[in-house]
Amino acid sequence: MKFSAIRPIARVLSRELMITAFLLFGVSLVVFIILYLAPGDPFSLLIEGQLLSPEARAGVREALGVPQSWYAQYWAWFWGMLHGNFGTSIRTGLPVLSEVLRVGLNTLILTIGSMLVTLIIAVPIALYSSVRGINKISWPLTMGAYIISAIPVFWLGYIVIYFFMHTLGLFPLAFGYSGGGQKYRWLYPLLPIIVLGVGNGTISEVIRSLRTEMGRVLSEDYIRTARAKGAPIWKHSFKEGFLLPVSGIISAKIPFFLGGAVIVEQIFNWPGMGRMAWQAAQDRDYPIIMGIAILAAVFVRMGSLFQRLLYVAVNPRASKE
Amino acid sequence: MKTYSQHSLEVTDLPEIPLWKKADKVDLLYVAYGLFIVLLVVGSYIAGSLKLLPYDPQDIDLNLMMAPPGTTGHVLGTDFMGRDMLSRLIVGIQAYFLPGLLAVFIALYFGTVLGVIAGYRGGLWDTSITYFVNLVDSFPRLVLILLVIAAFKPNIYYIMFVVGLTNVPVVSSLIKNKILFLKEKNFIEADIALGIPLKTIIMKHILWHHCRALLVIQATLGMAEAILIETSLSYLGFGVQEPAASWGNMVQSGANYLMQGKFWPSTAPALAILFTILGFHLLGDGLNNILEGRKKGS
Repeated sequence: MKFSAIRPIARVLSRELMITAFLLFGVSLVVFIILYLAPGDPFSLLIEGQLLSPEARAGVREALGVPQSWYAQYWAWFWGMLHGNFGTSIRTGLPVLSEVLRVGLNTLILTIGSMLVTLIIAVPIALYSSVRGINKISWPLTMGAYIISAIPVFWLGYIVIYFFMHTLGLFPLAFGYSGGGQKYRWLYPLLPIIVLGVGNGTISEVIRSLRTEMGRVLSEDYIRTARAKGAPIWKHSFKEGFLLPVSGIISAKIPFFLGGAVIVEQIFNWPGMGRMAWQAAQDRDYPIIMGIAILAAVFVRMGSLFQRLLYVAVNPRASKE
Repeated sequence: MKTYSQHSLEVTDLPEIPLWKKADKVDLLYVAYGLFIVLLVVGSYIAGSLKLLPYDPQDIDLNLMMAPPGTTGHVLGTDFMGRDMLSRLIVGIQAYFLPGLLAVFIALYFGTVLGVIAGYRGGLWDTSITYFVNLVDSFPRLVLILLVIAAFKPNIYYIMFVVGLTNVPVVSSLIKNKILFLKEKNFIEADIALGIPLKTIIMKHILWHHCRALLVIQATLGMAEAILIETSLSYLGFGVQEPAASWGNMVQSGANYLMQGKFWPSTAPALAILFTILGFHLLGDGLNNILEGRKKGS
């Protein structure tokens, strides 16, 4: 990268960081408002089964140091979060942050791995059909990608489990199971990654967006000039026709990958954030799910920030917009 | 931040040639398949609400459990309790049909309003709407839904409200970009010069004449999203509960028998989901290519 490219990136980085911080503040406000509007309060769980008079309830609240007004409550929560205190889980009594971070890495591996799987499937099809147009090979491939994208991921997961564990007998049935099939155990984490990558429904969208963008770039004048000169087309079209659309669609689809992770983790018993969110929703364990929502939003925002920086690095003019 | 590209129509688009003659055969095929699926879903919904079913979907027949498709009397076989699969599939549509329409309506209504304000007013309005849109986009949809479920109760209408809300950003960005594109055209300027009320310009000249195709396309895609979310949540156990039927909980309960090699009880609803979602997606895509124009060579 040339030195002159650093300055626009620095400018955009500082601005985008501020926007990100502002949006995360908004995210925390939305999460708080949803729970504030919820009927009942987390205390009902704490003092479940104890018949308390309203005065006694107020006493409990005061004893636990709960502020009375909503903005004081919000501020206490937000201030705690800034200091890494996300509260404690209602069910287990453990601090939320360490609980969520403990499983967060697993989800990160799952989502990033499945993004790679999606790209490995989608990119060749998209590039081929953008270069050759719709023909006898690209049409069935595109159609196949559409069909694959419409498969419900929860069913795909079961079929894969059945095929690999039952028919082929390659894997044990769950994590920590010490039965047969030890030899292929290292392959086990790959299954949910592949299932999420194939089944989350973004393959067809990646293909569509990349094909359109690449097709547009390939019909530009400068590509025609490059072709006439005999210069490598790929090198000239890489940044604008490949890097930008791919990073754009992937960063826009991070929420979908995280949402799909909830289901896939459930099927494969993958100890991640999605499974924890599911459990927390079952138990109405507010603090856990608030923490997960906020960390997921941080993840989404980071992806978007990275995409924005990449965009400016490729196209420095955009920093002045 | 997301950007959506917008292509202008080719000048060669002569109004006297009907649309379907100019369209690609492939796109027509997509739209035909999609319309077939939509008709099937709507027809089945009506049949289901009028109780015009081959069997009672709750009718348990323990002598005929997990019958394969093609069994006499049960065209699509039976599930693990001997209940007729076809009837349950038809009734399963009830689980998402009206809630899905609600989600679509919310997405289109608020998306259009925000898009018009952002595109037509611009300035501070545009900036604040962009922030709102990015805020909504920051949440993974399923996590937000789980949060709402934990806070309130697993009610499908609450869930579909969230689904609709999370679809607002796409619609509003598309409408906004369309309006920014149209604002440079002469006819808006002529409208203003003629003193036509703002309401007519926006409602008739912009939305009705230039955005209805876009809204129909977004409606089909939004319905596909709603179906996917409803079935996923029913699968996760937060939606429709047994013994009531939803495609999602049918997959879930059928999957318990998968390890015994009984594929059909979970595969039938899964295929129903697949073909329905595929139909809505292809309908949206085909319409998009035909109505919104597609650049040559792509």
